[in-house]
Amino acid sequence: MSFAAGPLGESDALHARVRAFARGASGDDFESLALAIARFQARYSPGFSRLVGQAPLDRVEQLPSVPADAFRVTRVAVHAAEHDAARFVTSGTTGAESGTHAFRTTDTYAELSLAFGRRALTSHGRRPTVVALADRPGERPSSSLGFMLDHFARSLDGRALDGAPFQPSAPDRYLLRASGVDLASLRRAASIAHERGEPLLVLATAFALVALIDALGGARLPLPEGSAVMQTGGYKGRSRELDPVVLRNSVAESFEIPGNSVVAEYGMTELSSQLYEGTLEGAELRAPPWTLLEPPWLRVVPVDPETLAPVAHGNVGLARFIDLANIDSAVAILTRDLVRRNELGIELLGRAPGALPRGCSLAVEALLESGRER
Amino acid sequence: MSAELRERLAPLFGAARRIADPGDTLGKRARRELPDQTRLSPASVELALARCLETGASDVELGRFSSRTPKSPRSHVLLSANVFTAALRAIATGLVASPRVFVRASRREPKMAEFLAEAAPSSFSLTHELRPEPGDQVFAYGSDATFDALRRTFPEGTLLRAHGPGFGAAAVESAAVTPQEEAELARTLSYDVALFDQRGCLSPRVVWFEGPLERARSFTRAVAWALVERERELPPGELAQRERAERELQRAALTYAGHVEPAGAGFVALLEEPPPHPPELGARSLLVIACADAADAARPHAAKVTTHATAGSAQFSAKLARILAKSRASVWGKLQSPPFDGPVDLRSLPDLD
Repeated sequence: MSFAAGPLGESDALHARVRAFARGASGDDFESLALAIARFQARYSPGFSRLVGQAPLDRVEQLPSVPADAFRVTRVAVHAAEHDAARFVTSGTTGAESGTHAFRTTDTYAELSLAFGRRALTSHGRRPTVVALADRPGERPSSSLGFMLDHFARSLDGRALDGAPFQPSAPDRYLLRASGVDLASLRRAASIAHERGEPLLVLATAFALVALIDALGGARLPLPEGSAVMQTGGYKGRSRELDPVVLRNSVAESFEIPGNSVVAEYGMTELSSQLYEGTLEGAELRAPPWTLLEPPWLRVVPVDPETLAPVAHGNVGLARFIDLANIDSAVAILTRDLVRRNELGIELLGRAPGALPRGCSLAVEALLESGRER
Repeated sequence: MSAELRERLAPLFGAARRIADPGDTLGKRARRELPDQTRLSPASVELALARCLETGASDVELGRFSSRTPKSPRSHVLLSANVFTAALRAIATGLVASPRVFVRASRREPKMAEFLAEAAPSSFSLTHELRPEPGDQVFAYGSDATFDALRRTFPEGTLLRAHGPGFGAAAVESAAVTPQEEAELARTLSYDVALFDQRGCLSPRVVWFEGPLERARSFTRAVAWALVERERELPPGELAQRERAERELQRAALTYAGHVEPAGAGFVALLEEPPPHPPELGARSLLVIACADAADAARPHAAKVTTHATAGSAQFSAKLARILAKSRASVWGKLQSPPFDGPVDLRSLPDLD
């Protein structure tokens, strides 16, 4: 295959190389691809070029990272806005701090997210019936999660629940309403999966799962054998927060599924790849609970918050991602998430606290802290 | 303004005068103990005592302070560690509101409150725990989430006077300012940035620069140069690890987004167009935003601006004042020294009509 000269042609060629790498059909290795993408971005992105400065781009460990905060301050993209195929918007806790991740093409994102999601969320290769405890993403999803849920529903299931032609945004597939979880539709989906002899795959945000537990009020909604729940995202102030263990146990109890069938997914708008737990019985990904596994095209490096140098194995650091699927934005992303590497993968330990609270006269936080100490 | 109020505040001002006086025993102790407590350098503590600790107020100021402050039988004040001199005005706010005032000092920086209590023992009571009763006022600073949490710990009927987070800002109309004047503006602004190592809610964090990009670049360099000069005169104190980490994250994000000029330990970043969400810089760093219209650039962030200074024509200043109507209109070099006419942050004053 040949590609046009110039940034768009180079981008196309890199997308093809990354997809081939993800399929295991490539002579490239991770390092050479990461460096090729970094050089491409340094050539065509003035922002990344400034971060690189005079540094040689010859070692992955030394690639400068673009802080996720940069997406809130400026456009982080190699290509011009006129070539955007999608723009995914981040949502902060307050909703006021949103940034945008522009994609020239979503093909690589779609292929790679599905490839790894399938390995984490499907058991013994069985086709699931798919529903989402999430808002309907609409025709052109503005969130990367919405895009991914739509793609999973289309690709892992691909059938309408009522026998009609498949419609990804059908209301009976997205079961989070302004009033809460649509329990009747969820029961119906479980019943259809039972009739089909399939597992039900429930794609859900954390706050939607809390809404589910609240809506059930202690009642059960049994799912077919082999069913799974993909749990993603934080609460973003949309519900009360539950301890992760309590949430997992409550969801498993409500659906009458094993706790290890509730599988955590980690993704963020600034990335194009996701990490998963490998706990679902019969799934390809295998790891103990609370360990997130990276796909072969993503690498997480815990780094010192100040020097940004990798910390010693087993120590806690900020999560630095090398994401080969971020071809047209930033191949190396630095976040405020605190992580630790164990023998199998990554443990997520929360968010770095950021700067000390600033303010002149008075401080509430201190009083609350002292209250917690008592 | 009543004589009673002036009398009520007199011991507090007297205590402040002793602390500000380097020859007084209390002043000597303050200079010895505050640098460790505040993590500011001795030179920075000295400048803050000279510029920011209020030792008196005019009748007009006190009259305005009184009219801006709701009254209650008792007041409770929760002090912060970030700006040590602000303890005085915070306690004064309680005294303007009530004859009986209970103060909980910050655990990180209790010294200033202790000095004031030692020199003015009858003015207020230092306490380890605030126990308001219905009808009492509590003056506090924090985020919305923490206010909600705090509110739940108080009995119903307690009035929480909450001051939310914010920052200082400046704006330049380059067409009305000469390059020489710009250098002087940069010099005076550098004191505002350096005071309290930029930890206060009045500390300037952003400058909207209306005019050609080349002038904005030149102004950015001038501010960076001035901050280096201030660093020699007022060495920065010790930063917490998370403050240093935050500074480096912001430096990298702004290097991607624009041009970053090193400025001693900190930096000055220039963005060529207003960003959707400008980061609030700290640790002696500043964001200069080049723009075609400073008022338009400031408008989306008006609710967060506590104080502002402008340099330009009268029309320019008036336009900014309209946009930033709830913030204090100040002057360059005095952003951290507002008149003693109410709380430093006027944005959340209650409606007293």
